[in-house]
Amino acid sequence: MEFIQWVIYASIYTGLIATTFFVMSFLFGKKDKPLLFTDKELPKVSVLIPAFNEESSIAKTIESIIAVDYPKNKLDIIVIDDGSKDKTLEIAKKYESKLVRVFHKENAGKGAALNFGLTKVKSKFVVSMDADTYVAPESLKKMMYYFKDEQVMCVSPAMVISKPTSFLQRIQYVEYLTGLFLRKAFASVNAIHITPGAFSAYRKSFFDKHGGYEVGNITEDLEVALRIQYNGYIIQNCPEAPVYTIAPTKFVQLLKQRRRWYVGLMKNTWKYKGIMFNPKYGDLGMFVLPVAWISIFFSVFVTTYLFFKTIFNVRKDILFLQSINFDFPNIWNLNFYFIERTFFLLVTNPVVIFLLIFILVLAAYLIYASDKVKKVSDIAWNIPLFFAFFAILFSFWWIISIIYVIFNREVKWR
Amino acid sequence: MEEQESRNVKSKARYIFAFIIGTALFALGFMIVYSISYFEYQRVSNLQDNLAYIIFEDKIGYSFFNEGICANVSLKKISDDLGFQGVIINDLENKFGKNDERVLDRKKFYSLVLLEHFEFVKLLNEKCNSNISTILFFYSNIPDESTKSEDVGRLLDVIGSKNPGKIMIYSFDVNLNSELIKKIKEKYNITDSPIIVINEKNKITNPQSTMEIEKLLK
Repeated sequence: MEFIQWVIYASIYTGLIATTFFVMSFLFGKKDKPLLFTDKELPKVSVLIPAFNEESSIAKTIESIIAVDYPKNKLDIIVIDDGSKDKTLEIAKKYESKLVRVFHKENAGKGAALNFGLTKVKSKFVVSMDADTYVAPESLKKMMYYFKDEQVMCVSPAMVISKPTSFLQRIQYVEYLTGLFLRKAFASVNAIHITPGAFSAYRKSFFDKHGGYEVGNITEDLEVALRIQYNGYIIQNCPEAPVYTIAPTKFVQLLKQRRRWYVGLMKNTWKYKGIMFNPKYGDLGMFVLPVAWISIFFSVFVTTYLFFKTIFNVRKDILFLQSINFDFPNIWNLNFYFIERTFFLLVTNPVVIFLLIFILVLAAYLIYASDKVKKVSDIAWNIPLFFAFFAILFSFWWIISIIYVIFNREVKWR
Repeated sequence: MEEQESRNVKSKARYIFAFIIGTALFALGFMIVYSISYFEYQRVSNLQDNLAYIIFEDKIGYSFFNEGICANVSLKKISDDLGFQGVIINDLENKFGKNDERVLDRKKFYSLVLLEHFEFVKLLNEKCNSNISTILFFYSNIPDESTKSEDVGRLLDVIGSKNPGKIMIYSFDVNLNSELIKKIKEKYNITDSPIIVINEKNKITNPQSTMEIEKLLK
């Protein structure tokens, strides 16, 4: 057996064990009843919206958070204009009221803007919200319920792509939906290690005790999530709280976003490497984080191999066509035997069998997500796009990010 | 805010079950593949027996009972049948392994059937004034050598498709441990692979294009 086949089978075997573990964790996790606030007990919360050149989306973001189903006397919205050069500040100012406070500061990045916002917070809980994010009316309340448990330092929502229309948005849409199940499974063993910066709720005392956002960190939200875990607290997940974000539409935009995420993930994982394989961190340290990195390695390695093999095969096929003088009608003897052999080769390839198993698992993830998010758009069109292109895009983003880390190239927030 | 102590994994049993179920699913995948391969092996074995019977029946009909052989001969069908059996036997060899006795026996029998049919076609050319070309294809499926043989095999498929019923292609694995293969290799002086022998006269080693082969078929 060739080396690559060993790698493929090792990745499949790891994937089967990990998937079984996550499904079991999810199922057993459903039995755990979390400690929840009642409506009357809901605490005061401040929503921080740092904004830099967000004139196209800031109004809708503020309107969506004003419209949430949350006691208005317990809601405090703080918009921090991070030195925008467009009309962001002007638009935000229009919403200034008892509910919405707007501040302006010199541009210093998202982390600094959030830290600035933290100094203005008077409540025990804060939510960081991106200025291109919209929240469903019930989401904030459902997330805040989880803070009844004193150990819970952060609650993440169900991130969904808002109205996917472009090719790349459709692929990201399915990626985000599949993430909903995994996030819940991770939460059931307190192994969430990535929280969306677009909308996550925190206990402010964590920042008071362990410091604010790390200024200059390109994935400050991820750093906070790992810091929460590193200090032994709980990150919860509320899949019933949909939050909509605008996904990049252009290839370069998306590449820059993923490069920032993945470089940030590598750097922050290195910073908190003490979690990895450390029994002190339970399932996160001993299984979830190592498996996540092993899976990334396998998927990048295998997809890259398959990509180059496909290119090699295409080259070979072109040479073959040349050798038969481009006699297309006679390339295949299209009889019943040809179909039978093709089918036989497919169904007797173990990788195809395992691929079918993983497709079924993904389908189950998507059914779960559609149940939580309720409105799922164009799924029949988006899923094939996801299967056809996500793996290759994922590998490409990772390879670029690894190159940036190896050569110590600077990655900016935007 | 309470200080956290180290936490244990939620359930050790869950890991054991995940390992057992994951391993079982992994094994199940291979079992499914093996079972389908075995069913295909049985199906191909039956097809091969039936085809061998037809070929032997035709030959015996002519040589023993002096029956006419020029009519009702569907060479296109037999060519397709033989071609399919050849590739599937090779596929099964890849699935079950090169030392699997069942597949090796089938392969030896397949070589015998091919030679029997080759003789029959020669007889047709002689007795019925047919003008059927024959190509003996000597290939290797040893990993380092198989790519070249596969490429030639694809060229021959195209030639076969272009000339249904007019060209018969017979493929022999040069590495097959069989007295029959040894003898046929000696007869046509085959020392390398891939090699094709056209109409028992022209030999080409590793042909690169259909044009190169077609030139010698005319």
